[in-house]
Amino acid sequence: MSKYRVSGRGRIDTSRPVSFTFDGKRIKGAKGDTVASALLANGIHLMGRSFKYHRPRGAVAAGSEEPNALIGTRRGPGRFEPNTRATVQEIWEGLETNSQNKFPSLKFDVGAVNDAAYMMFSAGFYYKTFMWPRSFWDKVYEPFIRAAAGLGVSPKEEDPDTYASRNAFCDVLVIGSGPAGLAAARAAAVEGLKVVLVDENAEAGGTLLSEPQAVIDGKPAWDWLSSELAALKAAGVKIMTRTTAIAYYHQNLIGLVEKLSDHLEVLPQDTPRERLWRMRAKQVVLAQGALEKPLVFHGNDRPGVMLAGSAQTYLNRYGVLVGTSPAVVTSHDSAWFSAFDLADAGAKVQAIVDTRSEIRQELLDGAKSRGIRVLAGYTATGTEGRLRVKSVRVNPMQSGKVGAPETISCDALLMSGGWTPSLHLFSHTQGKLAWDDDRTTFLPDYTPEDCVIAGAGRGLWGIAAALADGAEKGQQAVEALGRSAIAAVPAVKNDRTGTGVSHKELPTDLSPGKAKAFVDYQNDVTAKDLRLAVREGMKSIEHVKRYTTNGMATDQGKMSNINGLNIASDALGRKQPQVGLTTFRPPYTPTTFGAFAGYHRGGHFEVTRKTRIDSWAAENGAVFEPVSQWRRAWYFPKAGETMDQAVARECAATRSSVGIFDASTLGKIEVVGPDAVEFMNRMYTNPWTKLGVNRCRYGLLLGDDGFIRDDGVIGRMGQDKFHVTTTTGGAARVLNMMEDYLQTEWPDLNVWLTSTTEQWSTIALNGPNAAKLLAPLVEGVELTEEAFPHMSCVECTVAGMPARLFRVSFTGEIGFEVNVPAPMGRQLWETLWKAGEQYGITAYGTETMHVLRAEKGYIIVGQDTDGTVTPDDAGMAWAIGKAKPDFVGKRGLARPDLTAKGRKQLVGLLTEDGSKLEEGAQIVFDPAQPVPMKMVGHVTSSYDTGTTGRPIALALVEGGHDRMGETVHIPMPDRTIAAKITGTVFYDPENAKLKI
Amino acid sequence: MTAHANILTPGTLADTAAARVTVTAAPGRLSLRARGELGAIEGALGLSLPGKIGGRSQDNGIEALCLGPDEWVLLTAPENVASVVAAAAAVYDAHPHSLVDVSARETTVAIDGPRVLDLLCLGMARDPESIAEGEGRRTLFDGQTVLLWRDGATKFRMDVWHSFAPHLLGLLEIGCRELAAETL
Repeated sequence: MSKYRVSGRGRIDTSRPVSFTFDGKRIKGAKGDTVASALLANGIHLMGRSFKYHRPRGAVAAGSEEPNALIGTRRGPGRFEPNTRATVQEIWEGLETNSQNKFPSLKFDVGAVNDAAYMMFSAGFYYKTFMWPRSFWDKVYEPFIRAAAGLGVSPKEEDPDTYASRNAFCDVLVIGSGPAGLAAARAAAVEGLKVVLVDENAEAGGTLLSEPQAVIDGKPAWDWLSSELAALKAAGVKIMTRTTAIAYYHQNLIGLVEKLSDHLEVLPQDTPRERLWRMRAKQVVLAQGALEKPLVFHGNDRPGVMLAGSAQTYLNRYGVLVGTSPAVVTSHDSAWFSAFDLADAGAKVQAIVDTRSEIRQELLDGAKSRGIRVLAGYTATGTEGRLRVKSVRVNPMQSGKVGAPETISCDALLMSGGWTPSLHLFSHTQGKLAWDDDRTTFLPDYTPEDCVIAGAGRGLWGIAAALADGAEKGQQAVEALGRSAIAAVPAVKNDRTGTGVSHKELPTDLSPGKAKAFVDYQNDVTAKDLRLAVREGMKSIEHVKRYTTNGMATDQGKMSNINGLNIASDALGRKQPQVGLTTFRPPYTPTTFGAFAGYHRGGHFEVTRKTRIDSWAAENGAVFEPVSQWRRAWYFPKAGETMDQAVARECAATRSSVGIFDASTLGKIEVVGPDAVEFMNRMYTNPWTKLGVNRCRYGLLLGDDGFIRDDGVIGRMGQDKFHVTTTTGGAARVLNMMEDYLQTEWPDLNVWLTSTTEQWSTIALNGPNAAKLLAPLVEGVELTEEAFPHMSCVECTVAGMPARLFRVSFTGEIGFEVNVPAPMGRQLWETLWKAGEQYGITAYGTETMHVLRAEKGYIIVGQDTDGTVTPDDAGMAWAIGKAKPDFVGKRGLARPDLTAKGRKQLVGLLTEDGSKLEEGAQIVFDPAQPVPMKMVGHVTSSYDTGTTGRPIALALVEGGHDRMGETVHIPMPDRTIAAKITGTVFYDPENAKLKI
Repeated sequence: MTAHANILTPGTLADTAAARVTVTAAPGRLSLRARGELGAIEGALGLSLPGKIGGRSQDNGIEALCLGPDEWVLLTAPENVASVVAAAAAVYDAHPHSLVDVSARETTVAIDGPRVLDLLCLGMARDPESIAEGEGRRTLFDGQTVLLWRDGATKFRMDVWHSFAPHLLGLLEIGCRELAAETL
């Protein structure tokens, strides 16, 4: 066993050795180790290179707040994660880990030249350096910044792991399982209440895991902890470890990320890697404790310099001495106890250096009995050692002056700048904080959520205080639920209470301008950077933060916020609360994209709606396109056909014989009730009163602004019953709009709306042979011009199936739409297909549908309109029932802007050179005008392969209706295309083809 | 008639120690909208309509679930749909209402098993325990509108429009496996 592994200490299982690799080297640890504890047990402090200066770095903490020891972890192909905190990742046999931000090796890194040139990389470096010349931005600066940005390597392979999410509900959620959380959960574990206790660590216990010396209720802390956990489980409390409360959303919805398999050697079947819990808790107790702050002095980032409390954790929880001859620099009592623990475990503590001159006698006695030298009233001014600290430089402070330096040799330097209550989740609740001058920190004040905060999270110190406060807060949560609880507070012996002071950067006798005194380790921000930012005019902490990037790394300033604030407030000469605290935002710790995506990946990424005829299209080689949530058959290429060839064939076949099209995705709404016709009159622009039963009409729907929102053919199936169709994408929107009007404006109308989109499969037959094909299959109506003229509808039987048959055309040919109960759709399709073989029936997709309708000048809402087009703009003033007293949009249409001359109007365009225009291309009147030209419209629809023998286009052009025959110009990157303005109907303007 | 088997064809989709998901044969399904004194309609249907949203009633071969202040869904045997429609039509003049046949609109899945409440929590933000046995709700599952019928402590039915069903069934299948692999 290495000299750094202390036998008999820690909670790891040394009888179960585990080995893993770090940068290819095999490292031995034990079951229960993290990567960091195992490396430290092997005397390895150097774990990474810093982001900006590539400085050698080691673990500074032992928990999730770690800013330095970020590694890549790998478990075979695809299972690679960058920036994993070595202090959190548990080891398992075969785990591969790698250090980051180094080339060619961790010990010798070329990028470290940045460190030598550190004077260049000061605050605002990017803003200043990359300002000019402007032309350098795209080719030089941006690629450089992008290459330099980011730590670690993005995974390139697809992640084979699965991720899960689940909703959950509880009465009391306790976040953090240290003494305060345990006591709160115990108090809340009242009969009938659902209590959940979560902790981000692999084990519950929090501080107790690092303080085994405490005696609680007469039991050693760890014995008490296991009996307490057993008692909680027996009382029905759900205890979730490896579960981080990442975010506190509105109304007590807490996001919890549970890591299920990252610690396992063998991945269990059907088990996700992580699960995001959306926990809705009636009451929340935040018991997240406090995080230790570093001291800010030159060289405080050298490997081996770490937080004293973390060193204590490595010893007591993992059985690791971080050094055999450590020194301590502190401004808080807590580090003294760390020193004592390390000394008691066999380390030769070189000195305890305290910035305070007055020290509690109990601590001085403790040091004396262990033979530890005490330097009170001292400052730290530097460290030495290339890849690991080998000494610390300290100076006495006398009446504000820094005295002569002394160098103390050490192989680890334990520091403590005091403790910061963990207020992240409290801040997510929009909670207000109050500055506590005595403790130089923010404390929780008011929160609008049903939430209380207990223990060190609100500035209390010591196990007894945390237990008592947790019990009280747990009780409070129970009482808020209208129940009563009796919380017993356990007695504590060997508690370690204490206080401390908070500092800005420590005083030095060296040039402060050359000091590399780090405040934010992860973003390499120094005290000097913060002062420079203030000198350059940043007055608010929000500006200082963005200028220096202090607190902007993935650790969100867990260690740096208060130190940064203290320095900025000192530089500004204003109190901390006047300088402000930056906002904490979710997630609390870095969270995988997988956890957020959950099940929504691959085939389950998003709903893909398919019609009941989709399977036929798939079997018959259709190419699909997405239309809102639906996938629709786009075209049906035959072997060797291009899209243009397929579409040309489908168009020609439909115009010459018969085409079949799946129109099932059209929205359908059944409007029923005595006031149905009145409702239709009010919703649509068209008049409906005189529309006979079994007749249908094209309906145009506006918003109240007068602009076109939707359209569709509407059939009157009965006196009080309409079959409304909407666009595919508009179905849900139109129904919502109608319900809005019905429920808020016209609740007096006796009419009801039912979505029948998916009740029906809808098949369109179009072409000169459509009636001939269909007639023999229809019972109940003769498909003649007399008995069933264009724009008729009827309930009948088609191929033995109950049907609603419409005679409508979106192609200009004789057209029918057959609606049958949805599951019968494919059966009807196949029946029609067989019956159509004698006519050479051709299946067509949405592209052919688009071409054929454009040739007839039929608009597609959302393509030829964009929310700014009135019926008149679209050439559809005929659809407005002018005699109607009102309809949605009538008043809007009367606005002066909507009746003004020169509005963009829908016209046809024919190019002079016979080329196809690009949809979206801008239009100008005068191509010779200087750039930027005045744009007067754009191409909305354009097709190459139709049946008119030449490309056609629709466009919105200023005053277009009055410009028939004029030439407009469409500037393209390589040339300018001239086109003649025409009407929008390119095919059969007399509608002769509609007749049977 | 060619049968086109797919995920919506009745049959068991997933059956694990945690839960079982079965696509059932589609019942006759009607959307009823009406307000005011409902006596005439109730008389025609031979069923008293539940007045509380989420409440259910059953009589005369019809099962009703109240979805809104003027909205019910009625389930009956497919062969009864025509007679129910005819009976309601007979009282339309006396009590105008809307009764629309939506039998062809939806897929129904039966979900049961010891972990069924957890399975529902995979996709539903509502606490399934808030739906009493013998009640039902219109809610969202995996982002899609569904009707959820609680028939017993660990027995549910879920109705969803056909085109959303494959997506939703996909999650239920994943969930059955995931829950079965869990050690509690």
